Amino acid sequence: MKRTMFQRVLCLVLSVTVLLGMFGISTSAAGMKDVDVQASLAEMDAFLNASSYAEYYAKYHPTDDPDQYIPVGADAIHVSIKDFQSGSAAQLVKDNDACQSSYYESAGDWESFGDFNTVGAEAVYLPATDASGNVGKATWEFTVMTAGLYYIQIEFFDCNTGESSISSIERKLLIDDNVPFTEASYIDLWKNWEYNNTKVYTLDAYETYYEQTYEKALPELADGFSYDLIDRKENGAYIRHYVYEENGVRMVKATVLSQDINGNSMSPDAVQAPKWNTYTCNDSTGYTQGNFQFFFSASSAEGEKHTITLEAEREPVIVKSITLIPVGSDDVTTKSYAEIKAEYESLGYQPAAEGTMTIIQAEFPDLVSDASVSATNDNSSSATYPTTAKAQLYNVIGENSYSSVGQWAAYTFTVSEDGLYKFGMRYLQNALQGMFVCRAIKLSGGSYGLADGTPTLPFNEANNARFNYSDEWQSSFVGDANEVFEFYFEAGVEYTLYLECSLGSLQSLLASAELALENINAAYLRILQLTGADPDEYKNYQFPEVMPDVLITLLEEGIRLCGIADEFVELAEGDIGSHIAILDNVARLLDRIGSDNGYEIARNLANLKANLGTLGTWINDSKRSSMTVDAIYVVPADANEKVLPRAKAGFFANLWFEVKAFFCSFFTDYEAMGLTVVPDEDATTIDVWLATGRDQSKIWRSMIDIEGEGGFTSNTGTAVTLKLVTAGTLLPSILAGKGPDVYLGLGAADVINYAIRDAVLGISGNDPRLAEPNAKGVVENEYFTSYYYTYYNEQTGEFERTTTPDPSRTATYVSKPFSEVASVYNPDTGEGNFVAAALDTVTLRNVSYGLPMTMSFAMMFYRADVLAELDSEVPETWSDLLSLLPELQANNMSVGITYASAINFLLYQMGGNMWRYTDDPTGDYAGARIGLDTNTAYEAFDFVCKLYTDYSFPVTFDAANRFRTGEMPILVGDYATIYNQLIVFATEINGLWEFCSLPGWVNTAEDGTKTFNYDSLAGIGATVMLYGCDDKLAAWEFMQWQTDAERQADYGNKMVALIGPSAKYESANVQAIRNLSWSASEIAAINDQINHMSSIVNYPGSYIIDRYTKFAFLDAYNNGTKPVDAIRGYIDAINSEIERKREEFDLPTLEPGEVPDYLN
Amino acid sequence: MSQQTKAETKRPVQRSEMTKLQWTWKEIKRNKTAYFMIAPFMLLFIVFTVLPVLLSILLSFTDFNMLQMPGWQGLSNYTRLFLEDEIFLLACKNTLVFACITGPVSYLLSLLLAWFINELPPKLRAVVTLVFYAPSISGQVYLIWKTLFSSDSYGWVNATLINLGITSEAILYFEDANWVMGLCIVVALWTSLGTAFLSFIAGFQTIDRSMYEAASVDGIKNRWQELWYITLPTMRPQLMFGAVLAITQSFGFGAVVTNLCGFPSVDYAAHTIMHHLDDYGGQRYEIGYASAIAVILFVIMFACNILIKKALAKVGE
Repeated sequence: MKRTMFQRVLCLVLSVTVLLGMFGISTSAAGMKDVDVQASLAEMDAFLNASSYAEYYAKYHPTDDPDQYIPVGADAIHVSIKDFQSGSAAQLVKDNDACQSSYYESAGDWESFGDFNTVGAEAVYLPATDASGNVGKATWEFTVMTAGLYYIQIEFFDCNTGESSISSIERKLLIDDNVPFTEASYIDLWKNWEYNNTKVYTLDAYETYYEQTYEKALPELADGFSYDLIDRKENGAYIRHYVYEENGVRMVKATVLSQDINGNSMSPDAVQAPKWNTYTCNDSTGYTQGNFQFFFSASSAEGEKHTITLEAEREPVIVKSITLIPVGSDDVTTKSYAEIKAEYESLGYQPAAEGTMTIIQAEFPDLVSDASVSATNDNSSSATYPTTAKAQLYNVIGENSYSSVGQWAAYTFTVSEDGLYKFGMRYLQNALQGMFVCRAIKLSGGSYGLADGTPTLPFNEANNARFNYSDEWQSSFVGDANEVFEFYFEAGVEYTLYLECSLGSLQSLLASAELALENINAAYLRILQLTGADPDEYKNYQFPEVMPDVLITLLEEGIRLCGIADEFVELAEGDIGSHIAILDNVARLLDRIGSDNGYEIARNLANLKANLGTLGTWINDSKRSSMTVDAIYVVPADANEKVLPRAKAGFFANLWFEVKAFFCSFFTDYEAMGLTVVPDEDATTIDVWLATGRDQSKIWRSMIDIEGEGGFTSNTGTAVTLKLVTAGTLLPSILAGKGPDVYLGLGAADVINYAIRDAVLGISGNDPRLAEPNAKGVVENEYFTSYYYTYYNEQTGEFERTTTPDPSRTATYVSKPFSEVASVYNPDTGEGNFVAAALDTVTLRNVSYGLPMTMSFAMMFYRADVLAELDSEVPETWSDLLSLLPELQANNMSVGITYASAINFLLYQMGGNMWRYTDDPTGDYAGARIGLDTNTAYEAFDFVCKLYTDYSFPVTFDAANRFRTGEMPILVGDYATIYNQLIVFATEINGLWEFCSLPGWVNTAEDGTKTFNYDSLAGIGATVMLYGCDDKLAAWEFMQWQTDAERQADYGNKMVALIGPSAKYESANVQAIRNLSWSASEIAAINDQINHMSSIVNYPGSYIIDRYTKFAFLDAYNNGTKPVDAIRGYIDAINSEIERKREEFDLPTLEPGEVPDYLN
Repeated sequence: MSQQTKAETKRPVQRSEMTKLQWTWKEIKRNKTAYFMIAPFMLLFIVFTVLPVLLSILLSFTDFNMLQMPGWQGLSNYTRLFLEDEIFLLACKNTLVFACITGPVSYLLSLLLAWFINELPPKLRAVVTLVFYAPSISGQVYLIWKTLFSSDSYGWVNATLINLGITSEAILYFEDANWVMGLCIVVALWTSLGTAFLSFIAGFQTIDRSMYEAASVDGIKNRWQELWYITLPTMRPQLMFGAVLAITQSFGFGAVVTNLCGFPSVDYAAHTIMHHLDDYGGQRYEIGYASAIAVILFVIMFACNILIKKALAKVGE
């Protein structure tokens, strides 16, 4: 076919236009959001291309000459502040003798120092980010004389700034500006935590104090540890006493686990106890044996230098120096146990004299690595000290909160005689059936550990102390598979025993299982790209020709898994058949698939996917070294096991205990959970209900009861009864007139439902029901519009409230007006507590009915590794997302969004509104009509329907699982819910995914100006005051106390401390979110979304909207109805329901075709 | 005077000498042990069953919303229900379709299965009985259908159909108006072999064997005649019990549908009167209106009961 000239030119012009157009789109799309999300992908790319440590190690340990890179005779290289070269957000600081607050006080901008010596700076303070969002980063420069492998030691201070949270310190290590291997991206520095329940007294002073507090005489205290259980209604306690002599004075250190009035132990607060530590770079996942070895080439004569850079991921830290220790030098090589034993023998050390057993109750750790490693209750055996049938005493440490690699608890002790000792332990290890869990035994003090008190392994085998499986409690001495470890301790020297979770001898096995999983996963994705998720069983895909390497990988990994299973059997003490069954299953499946005759892969693909999930879960479970410890005994080395207290109680003792516990359970007052003081009958009391869990309730209880700053009752004199109820109890209780004064976490829709039926009170000072003076002549609306100052009157012992401040006294509590409490967050200044959209959802006709407590909203989660591999960008707009789709679909991948949320947020992104007349100044007609019959709404609805019909988004899907396998690399959903799920459920992809704000919509105004909107919708749970509340001022004080930034952050962090990283709390208080334990990049993303937030306001009849939009969507999806026709068909039904509801509440309604007066 | 009274008391009391009330009271006193023994149940029955029914009849004439004082509305709830509420009529239709299919079918199925199983040797019978009864004792086991017919393309049925090449995309079984009703009926039938089925089996075993012998002497020709003239009439109480259960079950089949299809089901395709009641009572806080719906449901079920009673009386005639 011959084309005319005209056609050719036209074609050319058209194609150029199209190309230019595309160019325009792509350039305009990148970087439209306030926060750049593309940078992370570039990093991910580098990350994926970096080698693993195993490869790095193999490179410098060639088999022909393994010692080639060991720098014999080289000196350690000290890199100090003098070598500090550059940084961002870093500050030079002075060592002010551990005075915390001034510790990181800035010595000025680093650039201003020419000569570092003259300023006297000693260390570098590295925040996670500074005020303007720069990531903390510092680079040191140094020369290496002898080429070779070095260990890197970092001397750091785990400083506690106002902005630190409970996460550990995470850094990325770069050498000469590159990450040497992937594991170096996650350098985990620990923090030291202690519990704030320890006080030191002189023995005389303590005697008086003890008598006053517990109303009985102090028992005779011997030197060393003794334990005391005081069973009283108020001030009950379980105390550890440690008596020692200091400068000739007898001192006592009392560590107290206090109890509530039912005798249940209360969790002490973990506080940071910063100190100098020395960290030797190692693998934070625990897979690599020993420390990382880094290769440095010799700096040439021209002064070529090496650099080490630490880049912040999480939490601030102060770094004083970095030391490069040559591999093989004496400083770092630990001896074997045999060598140590020989040494002991040659020195003539003898076992200590008998009868000198020190008992350390494990529930009193002196230091822990993580705020979640804390004492807990175990009532499974009456032989556990102490136990009581009537309550939950904290008598053990461990269970699930003390099981991930690297977590430790430390115990300081002394012995009374020089000699050899061994450790005994009473523990329950019933988690890994047939297997053992490992603990690394590290010591400091005396001749053990480093000079700054950092503990070390006394010998190599100590990394591998084994604790075997049994479903009952056991008592045994601590050792590895072969022998019990002995240690030499000197009398009077303080030693600290660190029990650190480690993988021990499972290290290499689990590492290779994880590698196998990675490889199989990659193979699975390759197969998926060819066949799709639902391959045709009857089609021969020609795998041996198309991807022989994949088949080989599968076969190899099958053999590897078999080998791992065999090694497990060898290592195990008992029958572990059930534990490793999964390995055999997967191995068999891989064998079948790998020897494919053309059809096996297609038949078994779904099976393979399921097995991959199970294998991932299995690795997670095996990595957790969960164990409960009751007590640690330090006994002379020649003692036999009989000296240890009995592990199990007798049959009858246990039976009697169970019977007692059963009957006691009838008398437990669950409402008094955590109450420490029997409530005063006369005191003002408010009833607070919440429908969450027991842990949450306990945390609030403890926060209410804190004495001094931050506590509620101690500052306002208002007692609080906190009741844990089941959701749905509120309505019947209001009906019966027995409702609470304040309810925590009522959904916004219910707030409005209750509000229009008069069941909750307006708290914005304009509730007409509170406008008239009450029986006491007080206009109660004033509580919400003025300041009230609470003063404590020392003479009367009572709290007084007044509206006029008294400058001569300090107020213990100031009740603020609503306008200040519910200040609107301003993205520009960063001030204000709540997002305007959040406040709107609990407001009806200008009266606010609640304070937002939780705020959930959708964000976009993406698999950075998958996107980087596809060489695509993180979509910022919906058109980006759509142009990414062909690429995804070609690889049989999809995008996960639920249609219900997509319809809602796209409507708002396109500038629509669910309701009409929301701008009515009187509020009369707001919500009188549905806003779904506008062109914008039609466009939004049409777009969403097409995502599912034309672009084949799945309507129903198992989000977490598909995200985990990589089939659904983009997932939109509630940020905290999905984060919490992924962080525990899919640990094998940690670090491979990220989240950011939603993709946005580019709106073009009539005049052609483009605006970009990526709003998400806020879902609110609010704190409300119920109608019928007697003391409204006290209830209002509680509400503002409970929702303020400090309390919310405190609560969120306590949740994470108690439950772990999967308990991220979605506070509605913007100021609080910043202080929760999110990483710097996560917080930036969340903030970005918070700055772009809308909400669907609730008006009478709003329940009908979701229902009918769902019907309309399903009609369009199932029956192929045109989306706009589908939604149009329901508009009348929605409007008439709204109208009916409005009539019920005597709200003005509109006739068909009528518009409200204010528009005329 | 006193003598006369004495004489009177000695004379047996005649029914005609007393008013009905006096007579009743006398009878109650005479049988006081029986009344005393039934009292605990009656008390609970009245407080928790009769009173709520009466109360909901009363509330159906008000605009009670659970939170505020109810106001008297007269018959407006009922007029609205029948004249304005289209969805109620749809719910009525669904309920009747549901009841008319699942009620009789499950009833007959129970009866037939019970009859067949009864013929089996005792040990095998015990096993087979358990197999058929299991779905209804294991609570929410019908949720297995949700897994089978999951809307996910990895759901069992969807994945199989896609694999076989019959469909190319996942069908939203429980969210597609074309599928919802049919599936729910199937699930309902599957779970319906419950208490009625057991009572039938028990009924079959209480029948006196000698009656069959007598009947064969009297000239019964086949098993059908035996069933119709001997077996069924003898177990009329069990049949009645089974029928009442079948009706209540088929009318009150709300929970299964809600758990399978969500609430409300798509386009109200499987919306029954129970759902309508839940909708107004639970979601819209219109207890008055919901009470009116409950009253109507109560009346329908009551009427059905009477009908069934009459029908059963004809068995064996």
